[in-house]
Amino acid sequence: MKYITLENLSKLLEELKKDYRVFTPVKKGDQRFYKEYTELADVVIGEVRPFEPLKAFFARAREVVAEGFDPKVPHEDDKPFAIVGVKACDLKGFKVQDHVFMDHDYRDPFYAKLREENLIISADCTCAIDTCFCTAVGIEPYPTEDFDINLSEMEGGFLAEIGSEKGQAIVERYPSLFQEGTEQLVSRRDKSREEVAKAVAENIRENSVPDQSKFKGIIEKNFDSDIWSDEAKTCVECGACTIICPTCHCFFLYDQKDEEKMNRLRIWDSCMLKHYARVAGGENPRAELWMRLRNRFEKKFDFFPKVADIYACTGCGRCVSACPAKIDIRKVLKRLVDNV
Amino acid sequence: MCSHGKEKNIYRPIEAEVLDVITESTTIKTLKLKPKEEIAFETGQFIELTVPGVGEAPFTPSSRPAVRDTMDVTIMKVGKVTDVVHQLKKGDIVGLRGPYGEGYPLDTFKDREVLVFGGGVGLAPLRSLMFALFDRINDFKKVYFRYGAKTPEDIIYKDLVKEWSGRSDLDFRITVDKGDDNWKGHVGLVTTILDDMKLDFSTAIAVVCGPPIMMKFGTFKLLEMGFKDSNIYLSMEKNMSCGLGKCGHCRIGTYYACKDGPVFTYDKIKGFHDIWK
Repeated sequence: MKYITLENLSKLLEELKKDYRVFTPVKKGDQRFYKEYTELADVVIGEVRPFEPLKAFFARAREVVAEGFDPKVPHEDDKPFAIVGVKACDLKGFKVQDHVFMDHDYRDPFYAKLREENLIISADCTCAIDTCFCTAVGIEPYPTEDFDINLSEMEGGFLAEIGSEKGQAIVERYPSLFQEGTEQLVSRRDKSREEVAKAVAENIRENSVPDQSKFKGIIEKNFDSDIWSDEAKTCVECGACTIICPTCHCFFLYDQKDEEKMNRLRIWDSCMLKHYARVAGGENPRAELWMRLRNRFEKKFDFFPKVADIYACTGCGRCVSACPAKIDIRKVLKRLVDNV
Repeated sequence: MCSHGKEKNIYRPIEAEVLDVITESTTIKTLKLKPKEEIAFETGQFIELTVPGVGEAPFTPSSRPAVRDTMDVTIMKVGKVTDVVHQLKKGDIVGLRGPYGEGYPLDTFKDREVLVFGGGVGLAPLRSLMFALFDRINDFKKVYFRYGAKTPEDIIYKDLVKEWSGRSDLDFRITVDKGDDNWKGHVGLVTTILDDMKLDFSTAIAVVCGPPIMMKFGTFKLLEMGFKDSNIYLSMEKNMSCGLGKCGHCRIGTYYACKDGPVFTYDKIKGFHDIWK
């Protein structure tokens, strides 16, 4: 266990800029947004997850994936990202994204490169906001895996836990920036972690969010239920819930030709949008909006547990805040669980 | 992890030249393509065809899999990409990715009766299967061909179908829903030409490809006849976009049609909802 002062952290981030594009959460109003690092002044390492999901650093919302017939992988020489202040809920997203993109038959060259090269300096949550429910879906409000270095905020600095060889190498490369983390600091960290977990538990209780131990079979048993059409009533089909979700991975490939050359692009897609499953000729297996809402839940709570042994929800609550129609995943889950 | 520098770009199409365009009917054409890098496929697998600058769409090759340097793709005009495909001419350049998915497991068909059961443009992928079966016809106890189209005009590969009708090693029957003045053959739904078949249903294989409605009622008919659900091979039409099991569009229950299919035995998918939609 190591310790790094606030001042040394700013030195470290400055050093990291040589090899990485460094992004840190910055507070604007009530929200936190990832911003390319310039100075520590407006940075929030702790608090809760930023507005954007972590997946944006691993598969961009829109990117060129092939240039004509050229076998070269585009963006191969791009500088990787160092993402600072990543929260545990976003790290859980890797379980789903890795399953999809690191699949051994067809490794996605873009994702694989960034997964290998990006640096993750995660951080404990230091509070909970009212949409947080991570502990109901099996994670803690502090990172336990899938990070290179994890920071736990203390007065004047951070306890720094090394989570990978890459993280170890960073600490070894800049030994003067790190001190040893004492037992005392570790027990202080554990105490704050407990407090945040309690705040999340209180959220879960107040909003009656069911625990994932009750999720088994909720889709199958409610497949023909009216819950779907009822919940979809207010949906405006904007796709925000899937775009903002750290586990949603669907994309759309399209080709573009300009005067110079043709490009194949990949953009994030959403199963909530009408033409998502439509086949050539016009047949649409999910023509109704409520079918698409059901499909979104089926993918998260039936498909992924069956194929990857994981519920594809991280409890980050982003879809709850993003939905203009106030469709609340926590309430839908409660209705599904109650109706089994 | 291995070095990303040599990572293959799974989204990049291979350049292919259009060697020939054959008009099969007013809405169906066959392209003969020569990819610059060899693309070997097994019958039942599909490819993604790129029209440069327009887009990509999935098709199952209709040619003989044993032919490695060229590939035929039979395409019905139904949408954005296929409209442009129909304007392609000899010498034009297109792109190919694949092959993707699982082919028909011909080795497991050995010593069994095999029924190839098609409807309409569904004959395109079955043509490739027929070529593959003919290449090793003595491996099978007997091969049956049953095919239906809406009208005589809708029958694709007319010359080839005529040639097959004369083969002594093939039990051949076709039908149309509605005949015309020149049609001397059977008239009736495709399921009616299955009626008198006497097979060893404990082992017989049925391979079905056609429009969704034909697949649905065809499957029910085969089950009623006594075929085992694990011996009925269905080509499922879904919106297969990436072909890699990643983009999400072609999910059927716990499978992706592009990766786990597009051919599924009925027992694997019958438990899922809305499979015929």
